[in-house]
Amino acid sequence: MTKSTILSIIVAVGIIGLALWFSGSSGKGGAEVGALNTTINGDKQYIDIVAKGGYSPKVINAKAGIPLVVKMNTANTFDCSAFVVIPSINYRGTLQKDGTTEIPIPAQPAGTTLRGSCGMGMYGFAINFI
Amino acid sequence: MNTYRFHVHGMHCKSCSVLIENDLKESVGVRNLHVNYEKKELDVSGDFGGIAPEKIAELFTKKIEQHGYSVSLEKERRAKAKLSDFNLAIPFALAFMAAFILLQKTGIVSFGASGTMTLGTVFIIGLIASVSTCMAVVGGLLLSMSATYAKEGQGLRPQAMFHIGRLISFFILGGVIGALGTAFQLSGTAHLLIGVVIAFIMIILGLNLLDVPFVEKLQLTLPAGLSKKVFRHAKGSQVFAPFLLGAATFFLPCGFTQSMQLYSLTTGSYLNGAMTMLVFALGTLPVLSLLSFGSVSINKSKYAGVFFKTVGIVVIAFALYNFLNTLVVAGIIAPVFSF
Repeated sequence: MTKSTILSIIVAVGIIGLALWFSGSSGKGGAEVGALNTTINGDKQYIDIVAKGGYSPKVINAKAGIPLVVKMNTANTFDCSAFVVIPSINYRGTLQKDGTTEIPIPAQPAGTTLRGSCGMGMYGFAINFI
Repeated sequence: MNTYRFHVHGMHCKSCSVLIENDLKESVGVRNLHVNYEKKELDVSGDFGGIAPEKIAELFTKKIEQHGYSVSLEKERRAKAKLSDFNLAIPFALAFMAAFILLQKTGIVSFGASGTMTLGTVFIIGLIASVSTCMAVVGGLLLSMSATYAKEGQGLRPQAMFHIGRLISFFILGGVIGALGTAFQLSGTAHLLIGVVIAFIMIILGLNLLDVPFVEKLQLTLPAGLSKKVFRHAKGSQVFAPFLLGAATFFLPCGFTQSMQLYSLTTGSYLNGAMTMLVFALGTLPVLSLLSFGSVSINKSKYAGVFFKTVGIVVIAFALYNFLNTLVVAGIIAPVFSF
């Protein structure tokens, strides 16, 4: 009996693994590791992210020690990406359907990585503070 | 006076034996009748006036086939050719999942709609939602439910009830949102809880569809005594349970559904909100019906075993996918998927 169960569970896990591998290899708009991609203006830094069917860029390298403003840009965004969750700073917010929504993020020490995802978890982004 | 032993097909819970006993014990000639759920056997004694046992099995089947059961002299057929089904089910499941992943990679969710929202746009958003990652939640749950009902041999009714429940609740609750101007939003804890419960249900149903004996023992069955009472009054479990499940999909975590709810609240009137949510649900209907009515039609074919095992694997994979995503949102693990 259990042979078939185990087999199916292995396959299910295998499919998940495949999905992981698939999604991991697509670094669309990902920044080079180490290069800042925020714009510093005064005592704050800014980054523009397009939120629609995922987030682009997915990796943000920000400067440590100064506050960051994430500008989420939407245009007819109806999918999950319109709901942003950043668990470690307790942020849960809804983006407007069209336009720009700003998410203020307090200054973080170097080496911190904040991970955000959409409201149901299928799209993610990461902010590295360096 | 003769005594016969028949094999019963299509029983899925203890209450089935009660239902069958109730339906058959009034038959002509029957003196004593007992259905054994564990062994899937029916023992009957009585005066049948020399009718052949094959004929009795036929007569009994006629009385209970409306509930999806049948009676025969031979043992259950499905016991055979079990493992070999996986030879086809595994590649099918892989192909389905690969197609699903590729569909997400085409960026179908990033379709370009014009600025103004019309009911036509809302319908298209519904269509897109039904093939998006929302499928993993609503579609996965529906698929597991449909295939489970279909496997029990039940007809179109529970499937239809699910869709009717979904459409009605989207209309009514959409109107409520429009009229009140407040959207329904899950708290972080509620989201986590619902996510875990749904994943658990889907895994149980998925394992069930794989038709492996040890899960059947795990099945949550109503005590026979309680079932007797319930079944005497109503054969409603095929109607209300799917109806409620369909209605509850309004609250399931799906980005598109929530976006539409947010849009409905800006419409500012009961009718506009109701229409928006109804048209959105209608947009998701073609794909969702395909999932549920497909399960029913394939049940009679000889590939039923392969089909249910394929669905079982897909449902389990969806359940794991949903479960991991739920943990991501709760901040327990880092995001793992990104299509």
